[in-house]
Amino acid sequence: MVLLAVLLCGAIGGQVLAPLVASRFIDRAIAGGALGDLTVLALLTMGLALAGQVVAVAETYVAEQVSWTATNALRADLVAHLLRLDATFHTAHTPGELIERVDGDVAALARFFSRFVVSVLGNGVLMVGVLGLLLVVDWRVGLGLSVFVAMALIAMLRIRAIATPAWAAERQASADFYGFLGEYLAGLEDIRSSGAGAFVLRRCAEVMRSWLAATRKAQMRGYALVASSQGLFGLGTAAALALSAMLFEDGTLTIGTVYLIFRYTEMLRQPTEQIRNEVQDLQQADASLGRVEALLGTAPRLADGPGTALPPGPLSLELDDVSFGYAADAPVLRGVRLGLAPGRVLGVVGRTGSGKTTLTRLLARFYDPSAGVVRLGGVDLRTVRLEAVRARIGLVTQEIHLFDASVRDNLTLFDDGVPDDRINAVLDTLGLAGWRQALPRGLDTPLGAGGAGLSAGQAQVLAFARVFLRDPDLVILDEASSRLDPATERLVQTALGRLLDGRTAVVVAHRLATVAYADDILVLEDGRVREHGPRLALAADPASRFARLLRVATDEVAT
Amino acid sequence: MNADANPKPLPTWRYLMGMARSARWLYPLHGVLWGVINLSALLPGPIARAFFDTLTGEAHPPAGTTGLIVLLMAIAVGQAVLWLIAGFVEIVFRFTTSGTLRRNLLRHVLNRPGAQGLPSSVGDTISRFRDDSLQAEDGLDWTDEIAGQGLFAVVAFVVLLRIDARMTLVAILPLVVVTAAARRASTALGRYRAASSQATSQVTGSIGDILAAVQTVQAAGAEARTVAHFRRLNERRRATMLVDRLVTQALDAITANTVSIGTGLIMLLAAGGLRDGSMTVGDFVLFVAYLGIIADFTAGLGRFLAHYGQTGVAFARMDVLLGGAPPAALVAPTPLHLRGPLPTVPPAPIATDRLVLVEAQGLTYRHPRSGRGVAAVDLRLPRGTLTVVTGRVGAGKTTLLRVLLGLLPREAGEIRWNGQVVADAAAFLVPPRAAYTAQVPRLFSETLKQNILLGHPDDPAALAGAVRVAVLERDVETLAAGLETPVGTRGVMLSGGQVQRAAAARMLVRGAELLVIDDLSSALDVETERLLWERLFAGGDVTCLAVSHRRAALRRADHIVVLNEGRVEAQGTLDYLLANCAEMRSLWHDADVAVGSV
Repeated sequence: MVLLAVLLCGAIGGQVLAPLVASRFIDRAIAGGALGDLTVLALLTMGLALAGQVVAVAETYVAEQVSWTATNALRADLVAHLLRLDATFHTAHTPGELIERVDGDVAALARFFSRFVVSVLGNGVLMVGVLGLLLVVDWRVGLGLSVFVAMALIAMLRIRAIATPAWAAERQASADFYGFLGEYLAGLEDIRSSGAGAFVLRRCAEVMRSWLAATRKAQMRGYALVASSQGLFGLGTAAALALSAMLFEDGTLTIGTVYLIFRYTEMLRQPTEQIRNEVQDLQQADASLGRVEALLGTAPRLADGPGTALPPGPLSLELDDVSFGYAADAPVLRGVRLGLAPGRVLGVVGRTGSGKTTLTRLLARFYDPSAGVVRLGGVDLRTVRLEAVRARIGLVTQEIHLFDASVRDNLTLFDDGVPDDRINAVLDTLGLAGWRQALPRGLDTPLGAGGAGLSAGQAQVLAFARVFLRDPDLVILDEASSRLDPATERLVQTALGRLLDGRTAVVVAHRLATVAYADDILVLEDGRVREHGPRLALAADPASRFARLLRVATDEVAT
Repeated sequence: MNADANPKPLPTWRYLMGMARSARWLYPLHGVLWGVINLSALLPGPIARAFFDTLTGEAHPPAGTTGLIVLLMAIAVGQAVLWLIAGFVEIVFRFTTSGTLRRNLLRHVLNRPGAQGLPSSVGDTISRFRDDSLQAEDGLDWTDEIAGQGLFAVVAFVVLLRIDARMTLVAILPLVVVTAAARRASTALGRYRAASSQATSQVTGSIGDILAAVQTVQAAGAEARTVAHFRRLNERRRATMLVDRLVTQALDAITANTVSIGTGLIMLLAAGGLRDGSMTVGDFVLFVAYLGIIADFTAGLGRFLAHYGQTGVAFARMDVLLGGAPPAALVAPTPLHLRGPLPTVPPAPIATDRLVLVEAQGLTYRHPRSGRGVAAVDLRLPRGTLTVVTGRVGAGKTTLLRVLLGLLPREAGEIRWNGQVVADAAAFLVPPRAAYTAQVPRLFSETLKQNILLGHPDDPAALAGAVRVAVLERDVETLAAGLETPVGTRGVMLSGGQVQRAAAARMLVRGAELLVIDDLSSALDVETERLLWERLFAGGDVTCLAVSHRRAALRRADHIVVLNEGRVEAQGTLDYLLANCAEMRSLWHDADVAVGSV
C-alpha cells in the first residue's frame, strides 16, 4: 500500500508539473531565451511522461494484485456461505443466478477496487494540487475554480445516490437472465425432445426485455452524470478564460500565466471525468456490495446446535411425533412416531409423494420438523453441531451430482487423504473394475461436466462408492438403486450387505426387492405411519398392508 | 457425424461486420452521434487560439474575447445535450449487439443433439454467454469510435500540416511505431487472454457445479474441502488474469510513451518557431491541443488493436457452442423482440403422416469419451405395439433411444417412417410425431402447468387427460395452487416420483404418434406404475418404445429387445426370450428371486 502511495505521488507530480514547464517554455521562447534551456525543458516534459508510464504499469500490478486477492477471498467466502445455507434457500435460487451473484457482482467490485484507490484518491490529490497551484498563480481564478469544482462534485454525488437502486435492479435483472439460461441449458434433452425450443426463445425474449429496461434506467442516470459534468466544465473553462482575459488586460497576468490557467482548467476536467467514471463504477459497486451483503446476511434457517456429542458406534433413531411441511399449509409428514435400534436396517415403502424422501431429509437435518423431535443416538438433532451430524451419516439419493473434476475428487469429494488402493477396491467391489481399468489416466481422469459418458446407472453406482469410502454410522439410501437393472442391483446389494453390517440404515425403495434385507419395515401413507414393525412379522400377517404389497408383487410374478 | 468438428472460425473483422449488420440502423446512428461528440471536441481548439491571439493583439474577431467566451459556453451546453442522446443510443445499441450474440448462441445450443451435452459445464457455458459476448460488444462499440477518432486525427493532421509541415510529419512517427508494436504483441496477448478466459470459465463452472450439488456436499460434510478446491481454481484465475492485465497495460504504456516522446520532439521543434516569430502563441496552443487529438488516437489505436486480438479469442470461444452451424450464424441478424408483442410459439404442425411403421437399421453410436455406445441395432415399431428395451447398466439402452430420436448424432444406420427415410431424426422425430420422457427428466422454475405445456397450446381437456394418464391428478389436488404451483429450481418442490410423472404428462399432452419412454419406473412405486401403464394403453392404438426392467412392462410388451454391451443379444416375445436367452432369464430371474425372498 505504501508502495502504491509513493508510485501515485510520483505520477501525480509529473502530471501537475508538465504544464508549468510548458508555461515557462512559452514565456522564455517569446522573450528569446537560450535554446539550451528550452531543450532541457522539452526533455523534462518527455522524461516526466516516461516516468508516468512506468508508474502506471507498476500501479496496475499492485492494484490488480490487491484487488484479485481481496475479491477471490470474497468469492470463496460467498461460496462457503452458500454451502452453509439450507435447502430452503437453494430451492428458491438457481445455480445460474448464484453464479452471477458470486462472480458477476464481485467482478463489479473488483473493477471498482482495482481502480478506486488509484483513480479517486489519485485524481483527488491531482485536483487539489492543481487548484492549489492556481491559487498561488492567481487567488481569484483559483478560488473561483475551487468553488466550481466543489459544486460539480456535489452534483455528482447527488446523482449517484439516485442511481444506486437502479443499478441494484440492473444487477438482479442480469442475474435473472443467467439464472434462466443456466436452468434451460441443463435441460436441453427435455427441451429438444418436447419440441420446446420456440418456447425457450420466447422466454429468452421476455427475460431480455426486462433486463434491457433495467439497464436503460441505470445507465441513463450514468449518462446524466456525464452530461452534467461535461456541461459544467465547458462553462467553467469559459468562466476561467473570461476572468483571465480581464486580468490580462489589467496587466496583472502574463500571457504565459493565462495559458497556464487555461491548461489547468482543462487539466481539472480530466480528474473530474475520471472521478465521474469512478462514481459510475461506484454506483455499480454500491449496488453489488449491497447484494453481496444481502447474500452474506442471509442466515441459514437451521441454527447450528450448541454441540452435544453423539454417542459413538451405530446410532439409534427416534422420531417423536414429527410433523413437517415445506409450505405452512401443506403438511408432508403428520405426527410420525418411529424408533429404530442401533445396527438395524429400516425399509421405508409407500406410494410416490407419501413423504419418504422428506423423512430422510429430516434425518440428515436438511430441515427441522415443524413439530416433534428427531433424535439420533438419543440426542435431539437440533442440539448437535450440523458438522458432527453429517460426519456420521452417509446419504445416497436419487439425484446424483458429479463435478467437472477428476474421478478421484468426484469419489472422495476433494479429500486427498483417501489412498488410491482403497478407492480401487471399492470400485471393484461395486462391479466397476472394467470401467476403472479403461480410464485413460486412472483416477486422475477428468470426469467431465455432468459426468459425460456415464450412464445414469453408472453414476448411481459411483454415488454408492462415495458412501463406501466414508465410515458412516447411519446410512440413508433414498431410491439409491432405482436406475440399476436387477442384475447390477444384486451386485450392489451384496456389497451393501457387507457395508451395512454393524451400522444403522434407512432404505427407501419403490421396489420391494430393495428392502429384502431390512429388519424393520415402515409403510408411509400420506405422511402418516400406516404400518411399522419387524419385516418378517409384517410379511407373515396376511392382513398387513406390507403383506398386501408383497402379494401385488408376487401376483404379478405368478400370472 | 461429429457435431463438434466446427468449421474454422472467421477472421475477427468478419464477425464484427456481421454484428454491425445485425444492429442495422443503430450502428451508423451510434457512429454519427459519437462522431459529432468527438468533432465538438475539436471546436474549443481554434476558439482558444483565437482567444490567445486576440489577447496578444494578433487577431481581431468581430465580437472580441466576449464573443469567443459565449461561443464556448454554447458549445458546452450543446455537448451536454448530445451526450444524453448519444448515451441513450449507445445503451440500446450495445444491448442489441450482445443480445444478438446471446440469442444466436442459445438458438444453436438448443439445436444441438439434446443429449450430447454442452462442450463444457453449464457454468463455463454461462461465462461464454456473459463474458465473451461482452468482449465482442466492446469490440464493436470501439470500431466506430476508433474510426471517428481516426477521421478527426486526419483533420487535425491536415490543419497542423498547414501551420508547420515539418513538425507535423514528426508527429506521425509514433503512429507507425505503435501500430507495429501492437501487431507484434497481439499473438502473445491472445494467448494470455485465452488462458485467463479459461481460468475464469473454470471458476464459474465450479460455482455452478458446487451449487447444483449443494446437498451432496453438505451431506458428506465436504464443505471445507470443496471451498479449498474452489480457492485453488480462484488462485489460478488470479495468476492468469494478472499476466493478462499486465501485458495489456505494458503495451499501453509503450504506446503512450512513444506518443509522449513525439510530443516532446515537437516542443523542441516549436521552440525555434516561437523564438523567431514564425509561430504565434495561438499557433502553439492549437498545436498542443490538436497534437493531443492525434496522440489520443494513436494511443487508442494501440489499445484497440490489442483488444481486437482478445476479441478474436472471445469469438473462438463462442464458436465452440455453435455445434455444426457455420461461424457466421453467430452474428446472423435475429429478431430480439425487445418491444412490441412477444413472438407466438408456433403451434405444433398437425401430423399428416400418421404412423404406420417406424423402422431403424444398423443404429450405431459410440460415446467419444468412453468408447461405449450401441452398434448395429435394428428396431421395428409397428403402430399399436409396445416394444421394450432391456439390459444391464451400461448396456446402451438410453443411448439407443437417444440415437433413434436424434438426441445423439448417429454414426451409422438408417431410420424409416412409414418406409420413408428420415434424414434428420432430430428435426423429424419431435412432437407431434414422437415425444419422449427422459430417464432423469428436468423441470424448470416455472409453474407445474408451464412445465407440462412448455409452449404447447393450452387445451384444458387435453391437459387434464395427460395429467390423468400420468397418474398425477391426485398430486395436483394436494398442491397448494394445483397446476399453477411453481415447482422451484429443477422442480425441487416436487417429489422424485412427481417429477417423473410431470415429465410423462409433458410427453402425453403433445398427443404424439410415437411415445418413447426411458425407465419411467425408476421413481415410481409398483402400484402407481401399473396404473400408469394401464391408463396409457386403455385407449388402445398407442405406439410405444420403452426402456424398462419391470415385469409390468415386460409382460405387456409385444416385442422385447435385450441389449448387452451395446449389441442386440436377443429379441422376441417374453416367452420366447425366457426360453432361449440366458441374459433375459438372468434379468427376469434376478427380479423374481429378490421379490420372492422377501
